[in-house]
Amino acid sequence: MIVYISKRLLSLIPVLFVVSIVIFLIVHITPGSPAATLLGMEATPEEIEILNDQMGFNRPIHIQYFSWVSNVLKGDLGDSIFMKQPVSVAIKEHFPPTLSLAILAQIIAVFIAIPFGILAAHKRGTVFDSTLMILALLGMAIPGFLLGLFLMLIFSVQLGWLPVAGYRSLDMGIWTHLRYMILPALSLGMVQAALITRMTRSSMLDVLYNNFIKTARAKGLKEQIVLLKHALKNAGLPILTVLGQSFGTLVTGAVVVESLFNIPGMGQLVLNSITRRDIAVIQGVVLFITLIYVAVNLIVDLMYGLIDPRVRLDRK
Amino acid sequence: MRNWRSIRILAGVLGIAMILSACGGKDESSSTMDVAAAPTYKDTLNIAITAQPPTLDGALTSSEVSLTISGNLFEQLYTMNMDYEPTPELAESYTVSDDGLVYTFNLRQGVKFHNGKLMTADDVVSSMNRWLEVSSRGKSLLGGSVFEKVDDFTVTMTVPEPTSDVLTIISTRTFFPVIMPKEVIEAATPEGVQEYIGTGPYKFQEWKQDQYIHLVKYDDYTMIDSKPSAYSGRKEAATPNLYFYVVSDHSTRIAGVKTGEYDVCESVPLENYEDLMNDQNVTLYSQPSGSMNAFLNIKEGVLSDVKMRQAILAALNMDEIMLASFSDKELFTLAPGYMNVNQPQWAVNSGAEYYNQKNPDKAKKLASEAGYTGETIKLLTTPDYQEMYTATLVVQEQLRQAGFTAEVLSLDFPSFMKARVDFSQWDLFITSNGYQIIPPMHLVLNPTWAGFDVPEVATAVAAMRGAADNETARKAWSDLQQFMYEFGSSTAIGHYNDAMATSSNVSNFVFFDLPIYWNAVVSE
Repeated sequence: MIVYISKRLLSLIPVLFVVSIVIFLIVHITPGSPAATLLGMEATPEEIEILNDQMGFNRPIHIQYFSWVSNVLKGDLGDSIFMKQPVSVAIKEHFPPTLSLAILAQIIAVFIAIPFGILAAHKRGTVFDSTLMILALLGMAIPGFLLGLFLMLIFSVQLGWLPVAGYRSLDMGIWTHLRYMILPALSLGMVQAALITRMTRSSMLDVLYNNFIKTARAKGLKEQIVLLKHALKNAGLPILTVLGQSFGTLVTGAVVVESLFNIPGMGQLVLNSITRRDIAVIQGVVLFITLIYVAVNLIVDLMYGLIDPRVRLDRK
Repeated sequence: MRNWRSIRILAGVLGIAMILSACGGKDESSSTMDVAAAPTYKDTLNIAITAQPPTLDGALTSSEVSLTISGNLFEQLYTMNMDYEPTPELAESYTVSDDGLVYTFNLRQGVKFHNGKLMTADDVVSSMNRWLEVSSRGKSLLGGSVFEKVDDFTVTMTVPEPTSDVLTIISTRTFFPVIMPKEVIEAATPEGVQEYIGTGPYKFQEWKQDQYIHLVKYDDYTMIDSKPSAYSGRKEAATPNLYFYVVSDHSTRIAGVKTGEYDVCESVPLENYEDLMNDQNVTLYSQPSGSMNAFLNIKEGVLSDVKMRQAILAALNMDEIMLASFSDKELFTLAPGYMNVNQPQWAVNSGAEYYNQKNPDKAKKLASEAGYTGETIKLLTTPDYQEMYTATLVVQEQLRQAGFTAEVLSLDFPSFMKARVDFSQWDLFITSNGYQIIPPMHLVLNPTWAGFDVPEVATAVAAMRGAADNETARKAWSDLQQFMYEFGSSTAIGHYNDAMATSSNVSNFVFFDLPIYWNAVVSE
């Protein structure tokens, strides 16, 4: 196990290296400069050039790259021009809202999707199954922000139960935190739930007609035990994979919902930094997101072994 | 049966939502000032702004959202009143030497900065000389000027040549010449000052990146006791806390002001105007705030021929362009002038015969005389500013109908700004430009904005600025506007209104060129 984890961690080095070059090139080839954004629409080209010079953006690109990489290796991701703070601090401030949102959305998704997926498989071909699958299809088709807008209109504008938007950290109390998070988490969670429901249903169906399930039923086991203990455990790997992917997406890609509900998370940070051409932040955040993705995949791979003893990671 | 279960789950979720809403109770914004007499006011004004400002250092940026916020922190020697007249703020009075080259300002005494330090001539000299050095408007309009200390409460400003608009320029909000402590100015880097310390009614408290900027009442503020008029007069900091929340999503800002989450919603999107107009809980404010202009490439390409530019002007139908871009006739006015339609000194109608001609046949004739053979006219735009983008699409269609080949090149805003300075990339672009106090500050006359660097402009600007009286200056501007239309360097398309909304329990709020919050209160 330790050998496997070490190998996976080592394989991170080339991944991060390639990502660093690609993101550096994309950011630097894109027209527009931080100085132009900082100085506003009415700045003259000369003023923009002078500020770019002062900030070091007119140096040759390979020199900028090596200076950035050598700083990153020393643990310094650089400073944000706009936020006037180190990139690592910006990430540290923007990550908790996203993580909290992702966890809540994932909890909502799992609590809806797994039971409904199992039931749909169990009731295959019935009206319940068809209705659920249509709803799941709709859920996948409706963009999260549209659902978010509906939820905002109903629960905030019409009923006035929950705040329209904004973010309150956990330090301000869990209930205050949840009041602000529940609508965005629902709008993200419902979309993920639709995806996971369909995956759970199809994985369960693959398993439910196997001989060991017939044997379990023939032994006279209760249907609940057959479904939850025997079938679900064997259908677990694909579900786990989808859960991992879905969590990865939630942590890194909730840009629109974060923007709609005004949550200062990673999505907003990336979006704002791109608009402002805040180069150090874009680079730092993309590297961080790469790390998160790899970490989530690693955890999912490790959990395969826990769920299914036939998977032996060390032998790979 | 299963359906009942799902209904129960939904009911459960709703129940939890209700409990959460009840448990959460009132947030910090609803606590009240400890005032015995009715009515009671909230101690916090929550303002939803569209974007995070790049900086609050007014000398460096023309960003409106920056100026709106920093206007609460900083003050100038002179500022503008409701009639756009320079009015004393940190200066008490001024005199000008007979040759018009030396302005002597007597400073107000006893004014304290937010760090407790007394404002003196040293601070004014440092601040104003830095402003002259770093602000592009300062440089272009007052280049070569210098501030010097006479005594602790007197400074002089020496200008290289006499002009009639010196006081107006240093009173302006666009490129804000603010007074900060000398030490703050000395510690400033090219990216701006490191601390926001001014003399205004509010002081800087906290900037939570991408979330909010929090200003608090400055208790030692030295108030001018005269009637508030635009940026001048009494400033009370009537609500102790101002929170500027960054809410980039339009629907969220609108929903927020409807529910009372935000007391003020800046920049109401046009499509929501009518909806908010009918909402009892919301008060709408709207006023002309700028002109949308089309700039033609006089330097390179197919429009470098003046006859082709005249052909383009003949083809344009401003009614259609403005209606498509601003959707409601209440939200724009049509006029050939580039300056504020409410400012009598500069609102002139010269060039009207070239404006809004709606004459495709004339356009075809002029183009044919110019030898036009179907070359592509490149229309540069950015979808980041919806009205500019829509206007460009309408112009494209109008040009097509007049027989031109027109192509839209749409880039994100930073790329648009980059392409704009490369004259080979565009033939025409449209931008919305906020009003300026005097014509020389307007981008239509700026040689680096769209390449309008013909000698006639410099001569006319000099005549305007050196004019002995307002009437002569107005005449010089009117002649220059006529020349611009004849030359076809640009055309005004129309004048747009900006709209803002507050919840109906907000009072004493003023929407001048920028929103003014220091006297605003929100009743409970």
